[in-house]
Amino acid sequence: MKTWAILLGGLLVWAVHFFGLYAIAEFAPSRMLTVILTVPCLAAEALLLIYALRLDRDEAFTRWRRSVAVGGTGLGLVAVLWQALPPWFSG
Amino acid sequence: MKSETGFDHALFDRFPTKDERPEAEEEELKRIWCAPKGWEYLTVVNNNYVGIYYLGTAFLFFLLAGVLGLLMRVQLAAPLMHVLPQATYNQVFTMHGTVMMFLFAVPMVEAAGVLLLPQMLAARDLPFPRLSAYAFWAYAVGGLAFFGSLFIGLAPDGGWFMYPPLTSKAFSPGINTDFWLLGIGFIEISAIAGAIEIIVGVLRHRAPGMSLDKMPIFAWAMLVFAVMIVIAFPSVILATLLLEIERAFNWPFFDATRGGDPLLWQHLFWFFGHPEVYIIFLPAAGMMSMIIPTVARAELVGYRLIVLAMVATGFISFGVWAHHMFATGLPPMTAGFFSAASMAVSLPAGIQVFSWIATFAVGKPRFNTPGLFAMGSVVIFVSGGLTGVMVALVPFDWQVHDTYFIVAHLHYVLIGGMVFPLFAAMYYWIPMVSRRPLSERWGRWIFGLMFAGMNIAFMPMHLSGLMGMPRRVYTYLPGSGWDVLNLVSTLGAFMLAAGVLLFLIDMARNFRLAPDDGEAGNVFGAGTLEWLPTALYSTRSIPVVRSREPLWDDPSISDNVEQGRYFLPRSATGRRETIVTSPLLAEPQYLQIMPGPSFWPFAAALLTAGFFLALTVQAYLFAGVSAVLGVLAVIRWLSETDIRVPEREVDIGAGIRVPTYATGPQTHGWWAMTILLIVLGMIFAMALFGLAFLWSNQPSFWTKPPALSGAVPLALGYVAIVIAAGATRLLHRRGAVWAVVPVIAAAALAPVLLWLDIGVWLKTLAPDASGQGAAVYALLTLQGMIVGIAALMALYLGWRKMRGLIVDGASNTLDLVCMFTAYVGAQGLVATLFARAIGA
Ligand code: HEM
Repeated sequence: MKTWAILLGGLLVWAVHFFGLYAIAEFAPSRMLTVILTVPCLAAEALLLIYALRLDRDEAFTRWRRSVAVGGTGLGLVAVLWQALPPWFSG
Repeated sequence: MKSETGFDHALFDRFPTKDERPEAEEEELKRIWCAPKGWEYLTVVNNNYVGIYYLGTAFLFFLLAGVLGLLMRVQLAAPLMHVLPQATYNQVFTMHGTVMMFLFAVPMVEAAGVLLLPQMLAARDLPFPRLSAYAFWAYAVGGLAFFGSLFIGLAPDGGWFMYPPLTSKAFSPGINTDFWLLGIGFIEISAIAGAIEIIVGVLRHRAPGMSLDKMPIFAWAMLVFAVMIVIAFPSVILATLLLEIERAFNWPFFDATRGGDPLLWQHLFWFFGHPEVYIIFLPAAGMMSMIIPTVARAELVGYRLIVLAMVATGFISFGVWAHHMFATGLPPMTAGFFSAASMAVSLPAGIQVFSWIATFAVGKPRFNTPGLFAMGSVVIFVSGGLTGVMVALVPFDWQVHDTYFIVAHLHYVLIGGMVFPLFAAMYYWIPMVSRRPLSERWGRWIFGLMFAGMNIAFMPMHLSGLMGMPRRVYTYLPGSGWDVLNLVSTLGAFMLAAGVLLFLIDMARNFRLAPDDGEAGNVFGAGTLEWLPTALYSTRSIPVVRSREPLWDDPSISDNVEQGRYFLPRSATGRRETIVTSPLLAEPQYLQIMPGPSFWPFAAALLTAGFFLALTVQAYLFAGVSAVLGVLAVIRWLSETDIRVPEREVDIGAGIRVPTYATGPQTHGWWAMTILLIVLGMIFAMALFGLAFLWSNQPSFWTKPPALSGAVPLALGYVAIVIAAGATRLLHRRGAVWAVVPVIAAAALAPVLLWLDIGVWLKTLAPDASGQGAAVYALLTLQGMIVGIAALMALYLGWRKMRGLIVDGASNTLDLVCMFTAYVGAQGLVATLFARAIGA
């Protein structure tokens, strides 16, 4: 379970953020709410990224795990930021 | 290396063993995994046969749908043609799209998984061979019957995404739409069965030592693909169920005049429909990532990045469904989020494309047929991807929505992303199963015709679309400026078809199935395990995997495998068996005894297909009989599983011993049940979403639900069900003879609770009164379905108990029944509370 959480953590946070944004837009549209959701998600991504960077890389498997985790959280971080932008550009 | 299960990795150093293996061992393997004869071809379950059946049938559907495509092109070649009347054209484009998507693309890649995965992972078979056989027969019989509707003029005609209100009873009164709804719903069930097989297979049947970082990229692709099916398909299963109920019983889920909403269908459909594109693309991309390194004679550039890209695609593709609905007037904020995700999803696809290009660039590519198809695929897919980024921009999409620009875009993506990789794969892997490879000389011609034909057919459609030609029109007037473009498109389509025809001739000339040895073999010099010498039992012994391309890194591995110098060089119990390994590091855990050929999966599939078809043509008595017999066939098939063999522990090679039976969360059965419960959970979650969606969009139709406080006794009842299921497991482990009693009692309590809940709701709201009524009773219907299944399971458990099959240490059936019953309790609890809380 731990390894799966390491591998998928960044993308899971992305999913929470995306579906949260969708729920806000569908049921209670408000820019403020999107900010309230986005800040903790960005923080979670950043923490996960730091955690991933510190992971062991003593064996082939752990090296692989670390690099997928770093990539996943890095991508998640950028994607969360990117998808939080539209409310600031649409009317 | 740190162990995952306590297994000592130093034991792997005992392989390859040195001693000679007796010849009789191989003879025994041959006897146990022998080839079928005569009618036994209907009862085979091993992947070598089922995979080929599956591939052949899916390809047949490609040809049939391709012919429909050509018919449309003939009709559109010039203005005012009279080849297909208007109503028939509607049926033809609907069937073309539906068959391509549901009966060709998804089953084809699933079939490739069934055929290739055991070989690539060096397992004797996938974990549930009978389930594979069931999934195949259900799909083949159901699919052919579905296609047959075209010949009696009853084929569906509402487009491949079947939007209501066009497909509601008012505007589509015939049974054409029902054919689609029941046929597709049923075929999806078979896809899910295949997905469960693939997930458990990839995670638990890998050769010892094949940790996740050494897994072939195709296995990664199939894993992500299967997980996506599990998450996405429940939504379309629910959608088809709801629309069928609306048509049959007048419950207005999608009727805006009665508190339903047609947009709910679009949400449910596209939550499945867009990931579907990636569901099709990912396995094809996995094939490309296997073929390109061999063709380029270089290691795949960026293995880790590709794995990451595949997993990321799996996630992000679930955030793009509403981009198909930009023209429906989505709120700007929603449109913005979906637009952002739609652009983001092109990143992971881009990573894969760049990695392929880089692999070609660093290697010494051979321009053989698989290589040509692979390169052609990259070019076509990238073009489709670029127009995809264009339509992800909302204002652009408004302009080209429902025009031929979209038809061009989707064919570039699907043909580049799936059809070309598939042809590359066929040229590449056919020597693995056939005595002769296909002809290289013909292959180049075929590629040339298909590549040129594809571009000549679909490139002009961008222009005709931009010039305003709508899709789904059976003809057009002269002088609109579309004539020449359409004629060119038709010529291109025939050129593409000529390539496919030559391919069929080449197959007839060269393809000679060799399931039991004698195949052409590793003609391209690939490095992965599927190229080890195999027979019906897969490889003679199961190697220890030490790298990603074992055949490149250890030139003696094929010989050693063939000489039986690795795991399981003989049958340890005299039955079909394979090694179950741990999910991360592939450490051997236990020996799975596999079921052999059986008539029952075949019978169950026929009866399930009979049930759905009978429902479609409203032959309810026949449907009822088929259902009862179908259930009996499944029970008969299950009764031969979960059996203990006399040998409790066996030597699987070099003195390493593992048990022949395992229980609890580590077993493959537990994993399969967990996945099944996720499927059910997703169907349920989408139904909850439906209720919430109608509440937020149709507030004026809302009736105050019964008080939450009144639901406390029901809620306690459901909690009791969950506790009883848990208690049964506990009691069984403690050796109580009557341990099954609580779970059977729980299964009996569930219908009572449901009955009481329905009674409460009937006093408040009728199912046909409003969208809310329909959605609430849909939740109750879903609960009713699983309550029924739980009751059947409880009866089965009781029967096994009476036959003395539930004994200490052999509790898998019991565990699974408990899991399911606990789920019934949990779902009942949430449904009871949610339906009362929303809009209270
Ligand atoms: C022989 C090659 C093919 C030809 C000539 C062809 C032709 C066409 C044409 C003309 C249409 C537009 C019908 C209309 O809007 O009036 C169409 C639609 C469609 N095609 Fe193809 N096609 C081919 C291959 C494929 C493949 C390989 C796939 C998928 C794997 C596919 C999936 C679809 C889908 C989903 C639609 C939309 C159907 C609808 O509007 O409901 N096609 N095709």
